[in-house]
Amino acid sequence: MDTTQLLKGVLDLAVLAALRDEDGYGYDILRRLRTAGLGDVGDASVYGTLRRLYNGGLLTTYVVPSDEGPHRKYYSLNPAGRAELQRSGKVWQGFASTMDDLLRERGTA
Amino acid sequence: MNSTAQDEITAYVFAVRAALGDLPEAQRDELLEDLTEHLTEVMADGEGPLTDRVGSPEAYAAELRGTAPFVGGFPDPPTRPNPLIELRDQVLPVLRTADVKVGGVLGYERASDFGRLLRPAWWVLRGYLAAMVVAEILDGGDQPIGLLPRIGGSDGVALILLAAGILGSIWLGRRSFRLSTWPKAVLYGTSFVLVIVALTGFTQADGYTRDSYYSNVTSYDNPYSQVEDVFVYDAQGRLVTGARLLDQNGQPIHLGNAYCYDDEGTYADAPEGVYPYCASKAPFRMPDASDAPLPSPAPSGISPSAAEPSDAPATPSPSVSPSPSK
Repeated sequence: MDTTQLLKGVLDLAVLAALRDEDGYGYDILRRLRTAGLGDVGDASVYGTLRRLYNGGLLTTYVVPSDEGPHRKYYSLNPAGRAELQRSGKVWQGFASTMDDLLRERGTA
Repeated sequence: MNSTAQDEITAYVFAVRAALGDLPEAQRDELLEDLTEHLTEVMADGEGPLTDRVGSPEAYAAELRGTAPFVGGFPDPPTRPNPLIELRDQVLPVLRTADVKVGGVLGYERASDFGRLLRPAWWVLRGYLAAMVVAEILDGGDQPIGLLPRIGGSDGVALILLAAGILGSIWLGRRSFRLSTWPKAVLYGTSFVLVIVALTGFTQADGYTRDSYYSNVTSYDNPYSQVEDVFVYDAQGRLVTGARLLDQNGQPIHLGNAYCYDDEGTYADAPEGVYPYCASKAPFRMPDASDAPLPSPAPSGISPSAAEPSDAPATPSPSVSPSPSK
C-alpha cells in the first residue's frame, strides 16, 4: 500500500497537528512532519496545504526577520484552526480505531 | 544565499508556474505567492540542486495541484440546507444596516450600543415585574394589589418583595452572560412571559385611569341618584310645603329636579331647593290633615320622625332619605 495515497487524506490534519504546540514556517513544518515519521511527505504538498489552510481561514501568518536569509513567514493556528484540528482529530481517531478493529477481527494484526 | 541559487529558484518557480498554466491566473498567483521564499528555506538547509531535493518543477506542480481543492482534508459532511439559517443569513444584514442607521439618529455608533446601556434598567424593571407576579400569586385577598407587590395589603411586605425582586434580577442579569444554553433559555423564556404580563397589567392600569376620568360620581354609589323630588311630612303626617333642606354647615341640599310635570302633563319650573317641587305627586295624602290621626303604623320608613314627637318639620340631614316607593 502506498503511504502517499493515505497521506493525501490526512495531510491537512497532519499540518494542523504539527502547528498545535508551536508556530512554524513552511520548511520548518516539513521537517517536523518528516521527523515525526512521515518521510514520504512532499515539499509541494506541505507548501500547498499551508497555503490552502491559510486561505481557508484556519491559519494566521506573521513575518519574522531572519539573520541568515530572507524574512520567514510563520504560520500559527487560530481558533478556527484549533477547532478544525479537534474536529478532524476526532474523525481520524474514530476512523483509525475502526480500521484497527477490522484488522484485528480478520486476524491480520 | 548566492545569486546562482537565487536564479535557480526563480527559474524553478517559473517552470512550476508554466506547468500550472491551465489554472486561472488568480488561483495560480495565490498558490505561488510564497513559493520563492519557501524554496529559499529549502535551499538554505542543505546542498545540491533544487531538483534533487524537491523533484522536477513538473512533479512539484502536479503535487501542488493535488493539494489545490480548497476544502478540508476530510470530505466535509454534506451540509443540509437549514431554512432557519438561510433566513437568518438574509435577515441579519438588513438588521445590521438598520442598527447602524438608527444608531446614528440616537447619537451612537449602533442602536444596539444604546440598547446595551439600557440593560441594567431592564433588570430593575424585570425585578419589579417578577415581584408583582409573585405578589399576585401569593396574595389571596379580594382587593386589587395596586401598583406595588402587596401581599395582604401590606406596604412593608411590598417594599421587601420589591427590593428582593430587583436585587435578584440584577444579580441574575450580571450572571446571565456566563450561563449555559439551557438556563439561559429558561431565563429568556421567563423574561418574555414577564413582558407579556407587564403589557397586560399596563393595559389594565391604563384602562382604569381612563375610565375613572369619565365616571360620574352621582350616578355611581350615590343612593340619592334616583331621587326626583322630596316630600317632607311633619309629626302629624301632614305634607310640609315650601320646605328647605340644609346640611350641618347651612348649605342647601339639592335633590331631585327643580320642575314639575304633573299628571295632566303640564310642565312648570319650580324654585330650586324648595320642596316639594311637585306637591301633587306626594306619595301619601291625608283626606283632612287637621284631624288626622298619627300615621302609625307608618308604611315602611317613610316618616323617620314619626316615632319621636318632635316639632321639627324636617331634619336637615342628608341621611334622612325619604324614598318614594313607586
